[in-house]
Amino acid sequence: MVTAAAAQTDDDRTLVDAALSGSREAFDELVRRHQRHVYQLCYRFTGNHEDASDLAQDVFIRAYRGLAGFKRQSSFSTWLYRIGVNVCLNRVASHAGSRTVGLESGDRVDARAERADVALLRQEQAAEVRAAVARLPPKQRAAVILRVYHELPHDEIAEILGSSVGAVKANFFHALGNLKKLLQKS
Amino acid sequence: MINHLTRTELLDAIEAPSQISTGRTRHLEECNACRLQVDSLRGVLARARADRVPEPSPLFWDHFSARVSEAVRDQSIGADQTAWWPRVRRPLATWAAASLASVLVLVTVLWRATVHAPSFPRVAPPDAVVTLEAPPADNLDADERWAVVRAAAENVAWEDVHDAGITAAPGETEGVALELTADERSELARLINQELKRNGV
Repeated sequence: MVTAAAAQTDDDRTLVDAALSGSREAFDELVRRHQRHVYQLCYRFTGNHEDASDLAQDVFIRAYRGLAGFKRQSSFSTWLYRIGVNVCLNRVASHAGSRTVGLESGDRVDARAERADVALLRQEQAAEVRAAVARLPPKQRAAVILRVYHELPHDEIAEILGSSVGAVKANFFHALGNLKKLLQKS
Repeated sequence: MINHLTRTELLDAIEAPSQISTGRTRHLEECNACRLQVDSLRGVLARARADRVPEPSPLFWDHFSARVSEAVRDQSIGADQTAWWPRVRRPLATWAAASLASVLVLVTVLWRATVHAPSFPRVAPPDAVVTLEAPPADNLDADERWAVVRAAAENVAWEDVHDAGITAAPGETEGVALELTADERSELARLINQELKRNGV
């Protein structure tokens, strides 16, 4: 039985082949399929919409330029995540200390269904979690983002980060321990 | 001896309790330390998971894909990978530079060995006709071997030589300069002056 993920991977490869043959529409379709995940990844690293959308665009431009280098040893999605994580980590390194990641003022939180004080508490807790994740060492931070927010399996995270599964698990475990300490302090 | 859960087992207990063996599950039930650790990290994980990325406006996605489409319009697909020549050229240039530099070193050493080899007075056999050989060409401009070296070196970029890992160690240049003869030093000075003038220094 062909799973949905496997079918998506096959479809992606067909689109990659078409894009390599010069079909811009095929690449546009790849963008439409993956833009949400790439944007969310970038948002987790930047903490605001403007930077996240700029960074996500950069990820797709790099993917486009490097498409011929996609070796098909992994899925297109994994390959795209790898580019995304590299772009984000480079960005984080170049902006180290210049910005605290948290809830941006323009975040739309739908508070219609909950009481104002509950919504406020939720926002505060979210800001604390994001600030704590932002203070993790780069590989731990990437492991948390990919595991917790993108729900990727450890072996795929290992592929994305160029590490072993054991190293990813160790990073994730230490990240949870560090998050616990950071959240206790806040 | 108490055999606590390993890091991997703790992680499995946090994320997927069904994956740990019955024996380890029993330990977890009985061991307060392990259970406390699993519970606290599970709480951290749940708290982290509760945070969601705010969803942008539905219009954003169309706008975003159009923006990317526009941005890649001027880009050539796989610009860095499709052409085989740039990928091959760089290593080739490096190897060529390395090979040429090696040849230069070899030729220079041989040239110095032949031109400046210690000369011993020839003792001609008493009845032989003494014929004087032409002295070795010490004039660098007239030396064909040096001309070959110079012609080859003109086509080598220093960046390529440097990329090939051919660099002088500290003090090496001074050492070589001290070994030069007066003629060589004056030729070196002439070449340096010529190069400085060419670069407008």
